[in-house]
Amino acid sequence: MNLHRIKAIIYKEWREILRDRLFLSLAFFVPVSMMLVFGYGIKMDVENIPFAVLDQDRSAMSRDYLHLFMDSRYFDYQGDVQNERELEPLLADSKIRFAIIVPPRFQENLLSGRPAPVQSLIDGTFPFRTATSKGYVIAINNAFNGKLLAGFISKKMGLSPEQAASLVQPVKLELRYLYNQELKSIWSIAPAMMMFILMMTPPFLTALGVVREKENGSIYNIYSSTVTRAEFLIGKLLPYLGISAVNVVILWFMAAQVFGAPFKGDPLFFFLASVVYDSCTTGIGLLVSLFANTQVAAMMITVVVTIIPSVLYSGLLVPIASMDAASQFEAHLFPAMYYTDIAIGSFLKGIGMEQLWGRAGALLLYTLVLWLVSYLLFHKRVRA
Amino acid sequence: MTGKELRQLSRDYLLVGAVLFLFTLDVMMAGGVKMDLNMATMMVHDADHSQASRELIYRFQPPYFKFGGEILNQKEGIELLDQGKALVVLDIPPRFQHDLIQGKPTSVQLQVDTGNTVLGTLAASYGGQIIGRYGFDIALQRMNITDAGLASVPMLADSHRVWYNPNQKDAWFMPISELLTIITVLAMMLPAAAAVREKERGTIEQLLVSPLTPTQIMLPKVVAMTLVILLGTALSLGLILRGVFDVPMKGSIPLFFAVTALYTFAMSGLGLFISTVSRNLAQATMLIIMVMMPIILLSGAWTPPEAMPPGIRQAMYLSPLYYYIEMAYGILLKGAGLKLLWDSLLGLTLIGSAVFGFGVWRFRRQFS
Repeated sequence: MNLHRIKAIIYKEWREILRDRLFLSLAFFVPVSMMLVFGYGIKMDVENIPFAVLDQDRSAMSRDYLHLFMDSRYFDYQGDVQNERELEPLLADSKIRFAIIVPPRFQENLLSGRPAPVQSLIDGTFPFRTATSKGYVIAINNAFNGKLLAGFISKKMGLSPEQAASLVQPVKLELRYLYNQELKSIWSIAPAMMMFILMMTPPFLTALGVVREKENGSIYNIYSSTVTRAEFLIGKLLPYLGISAVNVVILWFMAAQVFGAPFKGDPLFFFLASVVYDSCTTGIGLLVSLFANTQVAAMMITVVVTIIPSVLYSGLLVPIASMDAASQFEAHLFPAMYYTDIAIGSFLKGIGMEQLWGRAGALLLYTLVLWLVSYLLFHKRVRA
Repeated sequence: MTGKELRQLSRDYLLVGAVLFLFTLDVMMAGGVKMDLNMATMMVHDADHSQASRELIYRFQPPYFKFGGEILNQKEGIELLDQGKALVVLDIPPRFQHDLIQGKPTSVQLQVDTGNTVLGTLAASYGGQIIGRYGFDIALQRMNITDAGLASVPMLADSHRVWYNPNQKDAWFMPISELLTIITVLAMMLPAAAAVREKERGTIEQLLVSPLTPTQIMLPKVVAMTLVILLGTALSLGLILRGVFDVPMKGSIPLFFAVTALYTFAMSGLGLFISTVSRNLAQATMLIIMVMMPIILLSGAWTPPEAMPPGIRQAMYLSPLYYYIEMAYGILLKGAGLKLLWDSLLGLTLIGSAVFGFGVWRFRRQFS
């Protein structure tokens, strides 16, 4: 290990990056634009659901009931239709996502003390939105039911409306939202996006940087030089790691300032953990570059090995605890999961080293293994 | 020339392997993503330990919740939530059963981790439904109303029908969405890579001195890659979407392929344009990611148009993927035909020809 030679490699790599202006600007520009695009584009808040109404009763009570939906900020009233057949093309063309049908004799049934059927049709294309919309509908129906029942009981048993109301709803629910009281989806997306972007971009830069030398043959200069394997790898990786570390700060700033996600944790710990995560993902790029001989192949493999685990096994969409045993095991094999916990923990939960050291340690271990494997697999001798 | 492109591609085993992987296993793995609440761990702080409290706890059942165990105090609950070991903590006060029997109003507390807002919202919603239902049952009991007696109580009898995906299987939505994304990426990446590689290796000089016009150099690349993508799509539809996930495919399959071919052509125009401004593949890749991100985002693949802020909603009409997604879901899940989808087809044709024309123009210009 000769520091002088490492410096030379770093210098060479750095000059090469600097001279490829487009590549250099993209190295910083891509993460930023990804953050902007994801931050502004992914909306997990289910609001303004466009819906239509088929009111076959046209009574005072059916109007009261339907107004609960029209006045809700979750729903966006698109108009009335005259019969059920009109609803189908509206749903198929995505003009509405939800429809509510009030059959005839709605008021008559209720006033004479009988149950009154109502029906809702929900577009099932986006399952999570469907589940959430259905939850809203049920909540509105329950509220309406509570009033009906309280009215019924106060009349029947001669109680005051307040007494009747407490009789109908004996158990009150106090909901406490922790970490993100206002349920702003951007607050959870922004830190998770740091995980995603830092998983994707460093391996790309690294893999392309190394395979480029292989593809255009300049790697033979390295093979024939006195530079050792370790020196080459370290010298090659450090500039990319440097770029990624700068990106950590930029993305962090954007998450906190542009998207307003509160940062409650320990900044120093978060920064160090992020750099470890970076060196880990850089290591993935390095490993890919050892297998791929062309840049196209390097790109494709990187996509495959980074995007999938970071989306599926990171806890971004599915919490690890909810997975089946096999998926849980796989999730623990990828670094993304550990960093998601660190990012969400540092931003929203305000926890630090004390609770997260295990995750940071796992990332460190991961990094060491990746770098070591790459070192063992990298040969200066061309195989015959 | 088309043969040359196909042969060149087939010799890059890693690339072929990656393309195959994306069209099959990757689409399949996407089906494993469940956005619904699934076995969320619930911890309980039960200060009452009565029959009533046990019955309430018992109602939190799979598939949405699973009982994670009891905790002794609130602090422990916060710690578990902090570490992500529980998603919800239910807090039942002392004298819960006593109050219920006495007819006094009582309350339970549900603490929800909203670090992930999707799951947090769903957990709160399902938890609210369970507790609401529990309270309702208690109220009926107290008033001595039996199930049969419910027929003489004025209340809503609500029924919900979910269309196009009746069981709300994520297994339909995610793989289709993933397939469309993969088609988008490859439709840009493959032609761009094929064109830039010639530049990088210098083989473009050979083509230039040959008696081929720029169009004759370019078209085979686009045609070859479109063929590859259509083949992959067929594989994915037959093997994964139909074979593994039983997606109903209500509409016309030939129409779906025609639309896919049109879309692939349009996107390859973008790929060609990118190949003209980049000198090597590294640059081309970065540019493709840059171009791809807004296209996917503005497409409604993740967020439907109505959930977008107003300014962005108009910008969606610029994304070719927006029209393609509209048609793909329409054909595959909703069974829509040209009668409903003609406007999307028109949109895709217009945007697509503009993009493709621009790419071709740039590609030809770089030779003069």
